[in-house]
Amino acid sequence: MAEKKQHTVGKTTDFPVGKFKIIDIGGREIGIAQLKNGEFRAVRNVCPHKGAPVCKGPIVGTHLPSAVGELIYGRDGEVLACPWHGFEFDLLTGDELIQSGKPTKLLMFPVAVENDNVVVTL
Amino acid sequence: MDMPEKSVPSSQDTAFKVVDCDVHPYVKDGISSVFPYMPDAWKQRFLRKRATVGAEARSLKYLHPNGQVNREDARPPCGGVSGSDPHFLVQDLLVKNRIEHAVLNCLQTGALCSTLAGTDESIVLCAAFNDYLIDQWLKVDNRLKFAMSVPSQDPQAAAAEIRRIGKHPQIVAISLPLLNILMGNRYWWPIYEAAQEMQLPILVHVTGPDSIFYGPPIAAGGIPDSYVERYVTLNQAGESSVNSLVFSGVFEKFPNLKVIFVEYGFLWLLPLLWRMDRTWRQLRHEVPWVKKSPVEYVHKHIRFSTQPIDEPEDPKDLDKLIDLMGYDQLCFSTDYPHWDNDMPGQSLRGLPKAERQKIFWGNALTTFRMR
Repeated sequence: MAEKKQHTVGKTTDFPVGKFKIIDIGGREIGIAQLKNGEFRAVRNVCPHKGAPVCKGPIVGTHLPSAVGELIYGRDGEVLACPWHGFEFDLLTGDELIQSGKPTKLLMFPVAVENDNVVVTL
Repeated sequence: MDMPEKSVPSSQDTAFKVVDCDVHPYVKDGISSVFPYMPDAWKQRFLRKRATVGAEARSLKYLHPNGQVNREDARPPCGGVSGSDPHFLVQDLLVKNRIEHAVLNCLQTGALCSTLAGTDESIVLCAAFNDYLIDQWLKVDNRLKFAMSVPSQDPQAAAAEIRRIGKHPQIVAISLPLLNILMGNRYWWPIYEAAQEMQLPILVHVTGPDSIFYGPPIAAGGIPDSYVERYVTLNQAGESSVNSLVFSGVFEKFPNLKVIFVEYGFLWLLPLLWRMDRTWRQLRHEVPWVKKSPVEYVHKHIRFSTQPIDEPEDPKDLDKLIDLMGYDQLCFSTDYPHWDNDMPGQSLRGLPKAERQKIFWGNALTTFRMR
């Protein structure tokens, strides 16, 4: 593995809340997004399920486990839904929402804000 | 194929135990036999209609190519239709094959309730057939257990019938004559509520008019052209029903409910579960009440009878598929006295001994209400 480097990818204002912006870092497609809580995420634009450009999917909420016939909406702005097969990922942790069987996980990279710059380490 | 030279008991091992989950009693004179078990006004109605024996559940093209569904060699010595004499059935099936419990399921009642009788007629006939079988069959031998029928055209009446007789100690299941309404539909919920209350599993089995008349389930894609074609596709309603039960949340609503699919086959289960699990992982949020993988619900709540066992060229292929499925899902059944029955001594002989015993005994004891 090559040594990890820090990459300044833009100003915080370049990344609107709730939408991924996909950029090329050293030949790798990385989606950068700002969450509602102000945190940033840097996600490899490859779905761990079947390789879809996962960051092109919407950042959404979802319907939480509920009683039969009932809908409870929650996690608004914290869930990434893959545009192909719909797998839902928790953007706080990278985990697939369904944790039974052999769950997949997003590949996420450390991202920090330094002097209003968004800095990704990979 | 894997066949011995002659019929043998289930095993030379006397410790081997057998529950038969699918035996068909035949009420020999049909509706006229159950006249003593119904109000006189209803008896007069059926007499005037000349509906004394019962109607035929199959039209010409679906009649059995050999003339009858029943085994000719299973006729009682006193004459009459195979399966119509409980004393002979006990000797011919239970004693010969060392079967300790046989679950009776009357398809005459099933066909009347699903299709052939009107709603009110079916309520009266169902109760009369149930009472006849309790009186004339269950008293003969304690090894005879009963999947009581319910008049499924009226779910409230069906629930009332379950509560009326469901505590009988030899009643071990509820035989639910399916309609062309998937099993997850709320139409069925009053029946599931009563079943859960009585700790009785729901047993489903084709009732005869399936894929023939409007009323019972119909095979996908169109109407088959022969008995053979129809027979091969009868499993489809089972597959649709497993899917419907899980995604409609029936097992979240009725967490103690059990369902056994009898004579729908079982080799389709493995690819169905893979498909259900994958699709749930993709689109769970549409049915958020499905809180666990569909595989978990099926393993906890649903069982399948073995007959008619499919016969690959190499029987070991069947053993491998059962090993992949796991050994908790299957309950042995003969389907006596029908032409396509499987007898214990010739069935699933390649399985490991302990696992085979689970399928022939243990799984049934935890599925049916055996006391």
